[in-house]
Amino acid sequence: MKMTIHEVAQCLNLHVITIERWIRQGRIPIQKTGNGYLFNESALKKWAKMYRLPFSMPEKVKSREYEEKPENLLSAMKRGGVLHDLKGDDMETALKSAVDHMPVLSKTSKKELYRLLLERERLTSTGIGKGVAIPHPRDPLSDAMNSPIISTCFLEKPIDFGAVDDRPVFVMFIFLSQSIKFHLHLLSRFSFCVRDSSFVEFLKTSPDETTFFAKIADFEKQLDRAET
Amino acid sequence: MRIFQSWRYPANWSIFRLDDRLLLILAAIIVGSCSGLASVVLNWALKAMFNWFHHLRHYWWIFVLPAIGAALSSLFLEKVVKEGAGHGVPEVIYSVSRYGGLLRFRSSFSRIISSALTIGSGGSAGPEAPVVISGASIGSNIAKYFSLNDRQRVTLVGCGAAGAISSIFNAPIAGMVFAIEVIIGEWKSVNIVPIAIASVVGTEISRILQGNQIPFSHRLFNISHMDILACVGLAVLTAAAAILLTRLLRSMDKIAKKLPAPLWIRAAIGGCAVGLIGLFLPEVLGKGYHVVQTTIEGNFSQGLAIVGLAMIAKIVATALTLGWGGSGGIFAPCLVIGCFAGLTYHHGLALLWPSVSWVNQGCFALLGMAGLISGMLQAPLTGIFLIVEITGGYEVILPLIIVSAITTSLCHYIEPAAYYMKELVEYGHLLRPGTDARVLSDLNVSELIEKDCIAVTQNMLLRDFINIVKKSHRNYFPVEDEETGHFMGIIHLDDIRQYLFNPVMYDTVFLGQIMNTRVDIVNPDDDLDDVIRKMDANRLFSMPVVVNNRFIGLISKGSLLDQYRRELMVQTSQSI
Repeated sequence: MKMTIHEVAQCLNLHVITIERWIRQGRIPIQKTGNGYLFNESALKKWAKMYRLPFSMPEKVKSREYEEKPENLLSAMKRGGVLHDLKGDDMETALKSAVDHMPVLSKTSKKELYRLLLERERLTSTGIGKGVAIPHPRDPLSDAMNSPIISTCFLEKPIDFGAVDDRPVFVMFIFLSQSIKFHLHLLSRFSFCVRDSSFVEFLKTSPDETTFFAKIADFEKQLDRAET
Repeated sequence: MRIFQSWRYPANWSIFRLDDRLLLILAAIIVGSCSGLASVVLNWALKAMFNWFHHLRHYWWIFVLPAIGAALSSLFLEKVVKEGAGHGVPEVIYSVSRYGGLLRFRSSFSRIISSALTIGSGGSAGPEAPVVISGASIGSNIAKYFSLNDRQRVTLVGCGAAGAISSIFNAPIAGMVFAIEVIIGEWKSVNIVPIAIASVVGTEISRILQGNQIPFSHRLFNISHMDILACVGLAVLTAAAAILLTRLLRSMDKIAKKLPAPLWIRAAIGGCAVGLIGLFLPEVLGKGYHVVQTTIEGNFSQGLAIVGLAMIAKIVATALTLGWGGSGGIFAPCLVIGCFAGLTYHHGLALLWPSVSWVNQGCFALLGMAGLISGMLQAPLTGIFLIVEITGGYEVILPLIIVSAITTSLCHYIEPAAYYMKELVEYGHLLRPGTDARVLSDLNVSELIEKDCIAVTQNMLLRDFINIVKKSHRNYFPVEDEETGHFMGIIHLDDIRQYLFNPVMYDTVFLGQIMNTRVDIVNPDDDLDDVIRKMDANRLFSMPVVVNNRFIGLISKGSLLDQYRRELMVQTSQSI
């Protein structure tokens, strides 16, 4: 593989000027010949190891960054599905029936999820006011997931959730993410929607799947615009 | 055409690309022989001039001869080759610490000619330093021819100096030690091997052309315990002489600079004064090695007063020659002064304790020389090895070490910087490898600039700014003018932290109101040392880099530490 001096600089995470100076001063095993540079990659790696300098290929760094690009609300919500008229008289039963009806998850993970959700509720309520609750486990599930899930659960009748504003909760969004970072990202986007009171009014009509997703897509567009 | 090309770029010859060390050793052999030749040439020129002028010594007008020589040498340096006066060793050290040993090609002969004129006509100076700069310049230019890098070039500069000293004194170890201790200042095997080879080659060249002779041979000395004890006193005397010489050289230089006359007239005045002294004490003229020879053999029969006077006179003559613009080194004068100092001390001892049987006066002369060399250069090893080699007197090694060590420490106590380094230290130009100053001078601002700052404009609302803060990685945001793009000021996240959670402010505050306009800025060409001092003085963590009113990036202590550490690791690791 042929490397340019710029790539060497990237591998060492140094400025090109530094590399050029080191070549001039003879501190790095690269030789300048007229108009080009002469060096051996393995010798360079050995040299970096000897001086305990980090040497890593820039390509790897890039691909990891690509992997970690967080997903948006809509796809996560589509994966989680919309559940209507969930039964339940209190927080525990409502959560139980919501978890039971959630798609995708296996039986064991459902059990784990329910336990984690209750654990989380015991700390503080996830009722964030205006009749909306966002139950979620504190840490990701032990069963590794590839992509986040948000299940939208409209309840049959409002229940007491111990929310911050003491209003009964009529809708729950169960957040499941593979990492805290994704969770925070989705939560921040979601809170943008809930801040809009017309959205809460819209939720109260317990809309069907297509109109709901259309509304979310609308918000996503607004968010993207604000970000750029 | 291709053959011509390959001759122009010997760096591309495959034989030299086999191994770096091999290449360096081959180059060291070439450099050693060239610098050896240079010193032989200077030696011959001095001998020839001595023979021409010897029969004129009895004329009364002879005192103008040093003046003519010094004036000619000054004219030659100033008008023909356009180089500064002086002996040139500081220039070599300066170039080694700042410019990776780059020296001009003309330096390889200019000082030889000018010092031949000065010394041959009777000026009190030595031929060694001019040979050192010639050798160093030869080394530097050979390195350039082979397109070697800075580190290798510095080694070859050291090789040149080592070859020159080895050849002129017929003293390979002294040459080697001098090059490493004084010129390079770094004891590493990468330097030592080529320098050792250059020393051997340089010495061999001089032995082939001039014969293998020890410059100052002597009889065997029988050194008693009393003599070793007496050395301590001698060390005090040599230290005093070395300091007197250093101070006098500098003050003469200052006086000469005040004189409103061309350089060559100043040199002529100095030379004239030396010539006048020489009328009464001919020992002070020239490099004066015959005096050293006579003394070491124990044949110098003058009394205490005359010898003491000769010592002072030699110091004054040297200061007059070199301080007023003559060209030459201080090695030879140091040897002569040291010789007189030893002699004075011996006479003094004999006067005070006539009953004690002191060792021969030659031994004290020899110790005095070592003391003066060590004191002036503040390089004890160079002093010790030089004297051992040029006198062939290994039996004096114990008192020699004592005198060298004590004189060096006394001189260092009174004059913290050696004579060669004094000016460099004053201007902060002495950058020894592996020191903080060296690392900082090697790094420059443009290597440290962080460019991932997001620029904002002064008419931006706080609300828009907070959206930008969300995406940024840095705590600093440069404010630029919307139209011209000129740098207006900087906003630190700390400046707005208190307004960050107050939505009322979002649409009422413009960035122009909260930005900090009175910021210290950095130019990419600034010295990093100054930048850090500015940061420390104002307790700043980051400073914006601005060129032509445009913001280029940020320089921060965080990235500085990162870069500094890497630089230090690469510069000081012993593994290569």
